[in-house]
Formats: sequence, C-alpha cells, structure tokens
Amino acid sequence: MTSSGTLTPMSTKDDDLASSPVVPARYPWRWVGVAFVLVLAAQFVHGLVTNPAWDWPTFARYFTAQSILTAVGTTIVLTVLGTVLGFALGIVVAVLRMSKSPFLSAVGWTYIWAFRSIPLIVQLLFWFNISYLYSRLSLGIPFGPELVSFETIALISPMGAAVLGLALHQAAYAAEIVRSGVISVDRGQLEAAAALGIPRFRQFRRIVLPQAMRSILPNAANEVISLFKGTSVVSVMAIGELFYQVQVIYGRNARVVALLMVATVWYIILTTLLSIGQHHVERYFARGDRR
Amino acid sequence: MIKVLGVHKSFGSLEVLRGVSLTVAAGEVVVVLGPSGSGKSTLLRTINHLEKADRGFVAIDGDLIGYRRRAGKLHELKEREILKQRKDIGFVFQNFNLFPHLTALENVAEVADLASARHFLERVGLEDKASAYPRQLSGGQQQRVAIARALATRPKVVLFDEPTSALDPELVGEVLDVMRDLARTGTTMVVVTHEIGFAREVADRIVFIDGGVIVEEGAPDEVLDRPVHDRTRAFLSKVL
Repeated sequence: MTSSGTLTPMSTKDDDLASSPVVPARYPWRWVGVAFVLVLAAQFVHGLVTNPAWDWPTFARYFTAQSILTAVGTTIVLTVLGTVLGFALGIVVAVLRMSKSPFLSAVGWTYIWAFRSIPLIVQLLFWFNISYLYSRLSLGIPFGPELVSFETIALISPMGAAVLGLALHQAAYAAEIVRSGVISVDRGQLEAAAALGIPRFRQFRRIVLPQAMRSILPNAANEVISLFKGTSVVSVMAIGELFYQVQVIYGRNARVVALLMVATVWYIILTTLLSIGQHHVERYFARGDRR
Repeated sequence: MIKVLGVHKSFGSLEVLRGVSLTVAAGEVVVVLGPSGSGKSTLLRTINHLEKADRGFVAIDGDLIGYRRRAGKLHELKEREILKQRKDIGFVFQNFNLFPHLTALENVAEVADLASARHFLERVGLEDKASAYPRQLSGGQQQRVAIARALATRPKVVLFDEPTSALDPELVGEVLDVMRDLARTGTTMVVVTHEIGFAREVADRIVFIDGGVIVEEGAPDEVLDRPVHDRTRAFLSKVL
C-alpha cells in the first residue's frame, strides 16, 4: 500500500478508493453574487421601462428616422476611412520608425511625436480652417514657379478635413500598435527568414506581420472602436454624423434624453458588430496555434 | 569550397572568435566540437553573415560573403545582395525557428515552388505531415521540416547549429538519420553538435574549437581517439 500514507486510515484499500463517489466542490457565494447582480439588473431594467423621463415613444420615432440613418451612415464612413487610411499610413510610419536608417527612423519618430501631441479636436479645427492659413495650394518647383494650383476650400471639404484629421491622428497611434506587434515577434523568426534569404519586404509581409497580428489585433480593435465613437468629435465641424444629428434634433424639440439614447443604442449596436468581427479575425490569425 | 580566413569576432569586450581559419571541400562533412561558449555557433553564424566578422573573411566558391572586391578595395554589400548570397547557405537552427503560422509545406514553399517543397518534405520523410502546423509536430519532426526548408533554396552548403540540442533524447535519432542521409548523398555540411557518436560515424573531419581558436583538427579517429592537445583530451573525457 504505497498510497495509504496520504489517505485517511479508514480507506487504505485501493478498491474502496475506486468505488467511492466524488462530491464536487461547491461555491455557495457564487450564487449569492449572481442573485445580487440579478436584483440590480432587474431594478435598472424596471427603471428604464417605468420611468417616463426616458421617453421611449420619442426614441422609437427617431431611432430609424431617415435623418438618423443617414447620420449613422456618415459615422460609419468616417470610421471606415479613418481606420483604413489611418492604419495604412500607420504601417508605413511604423516601418519608418523601425528602419535601420537613422534618417527614416527619425522621420517616423517625429510623425508619431507630432500627431500624438496635438489633441484630435484641435487638429480637426486646424484642417477645417486650413483655408484661412493657405487660401491656395499649388504644385510646382520649391521656391520656383507653380505648375498647378487649387483653391484650398475647393480641395478640402469639411468632410475631407474630417477624414484627413482622423486618419492622420489614427496613423500615429496605429504606428505604435503595429510596432509593438512587430517587436513582439520572436527574433529567431527574423533570423530564420534572413538565413533563408527572403527579401526584406517579403519577410515583413509574409513572416512578421501575420505573427504580429496576434498582438496587434486586440489593440487595433480597441482603436477602431474608440475611433468609431471618437467620430462624434467631428460634430464640432458641423458634419452630419450621428452625434451632430441628434444634437440638431434635440436642439429643436428639447427631447435630450431620448435622442441621446438613440445615439447610444446605435453606438452599442455597431460596437457589438465590431467586437464580433474582432473575434473572427483573431481566430483566423491564431490558426497556427491550434493543436 | 568554403574558405574561412582569420575570422575575429567580439561581443563588447568578449572576444568570441580569435582568428579562425577553416577550409571545407565540396561534399565534405565537417563536425565542429567544443565546450559551450567556445565560439562554435558564432563561427557558423559568421559563415552566413548573420554575424558580421570584425576581421577576416568568408568565401564560398570564391565569392566573398558580405563584400565585393573592386579596385583593390572591399565594398560592403547591401542587405538585399547579402540575402541573395544566403540562398547558397542553408542554416538549421537549434530551436528550428519554423514559421508557426504556416503549415509544414508552406514553411518549405516559402523559398521554393510547391512541387519542390513537396519533394524536400519527402526527402525528410514528412510528406504525410505537409498540412500540419509546427505546433502539431513533435520536436524531431519540426527539425526535419526545418532541414527540408534549409535544403529548399538548393544551397551549396548546409550549416547545422546544434540541431538536436533542443530535442528529447528519443527524438534525436530521427534527425540524425536525416542528416546521415544528406551526408551520404554528398551534401556539404558543417555541423556543430555534441553528438560524438554521430561525429565519429559521419564526419570526414572533426574540428575542435576552444577559446575562440581551432585547437585541433583531423579525421574522427585521430581527434577522438588520439587527441594531441590537452584541451581536446579534457573536453573528450567529459563528453565520452
């Protein structure tokens, strides 16, 4: 009986041990916690339903109103353009920042420094008012003759200024996220790629980036979601995105709470969709991790 | 074929290689032995220019690795050109360094077309694991895929940096079998290893390194059974 030493004296036979029923460990406090949270949630829902101040009829009237749907569309367009352009530029900036060339690295660093230093709202207002600073933009030889020139105000619409501002701002953050992903890739991977003579760009695209994506994605999803809600900042430029639109409406009818709820629910729905998308994309990039 | 000439390499104040010269003929299998920290791995890594030598040169078939001679001067090559040169030098790492997000076949196909990738997987006996990801393979299988990948650029020489040191003892044999087969079919190989049995059986020549210099070299039975140098004797008494 080698095992008897750790058991109670009553059950020294292995047969007893094998036939003894197992009682699972119980956690009664979990149920107390569940009950507590359920009561709180029920109270909250009860309040939502019974308190007339939430004004659900107004909510229902506006939730799918044409003006709101158009505004949701604008918000989505701003998010998509900000994300796509921001991350495209962000990858470029990250590559610059990690370059072995001190010149390129300094360029990348400076970009990140500059655009992280300026508050988004200030930057947006700058782009919005760029035509006060430079009324004409022109292409030509530096300090020499102009070849073509444009009216700034015609070239950069308010929407254009918003996309520009969001993308440039996003790129600075995206660059750091991409960089953090790239430096998380094992050095051995780069050595193997170098030893195989794989060209640099291909190394980055085929070997480094797919592995970096694992740690880039959760951070990037955070950024996209925060950009999505951050588009509400663009309301300072009188662009008809979701938040601006509800402000306009409650400015007219004074149903502030109901309209804020309209915006809130739309933000929640779209963020949920983004989170589901994130889950699937992460699973795709984890494919080498399955057993 | 491979010529290593007076290679010096320091990391900070630590001089790891102190003038190593070595010639490897085509089809020859050279096993490098030596205590840990003796500079064996660094020597391999200077051959394919993963480490740049402070002094001295490496040439393969007369081509300097990492430099071009023009008008009596040596010009450093750009990275792109060095990467091209590395296609001639296969490298097998201690930790395999397979690409974890790619299947076995994709790992090999990263540097070859699909048909030859399949051929090289077959060569290491893993054609049935083509669609497995590295994590789904045992250590021995991973290292065999890594060998197939190193062969896929059709290199003139394959360097092995302690290829079995990260493996469980029962998996060492399958990797050595593959290497034995390569040696038999005329692959030029430089192998850093602690597998003395493998060295005795497969090596054409054994090079013993200690303290960053080649202490002794010769045929396996000379170096292993009748070592001339005290340091070789001391090392062998510990590992045999």
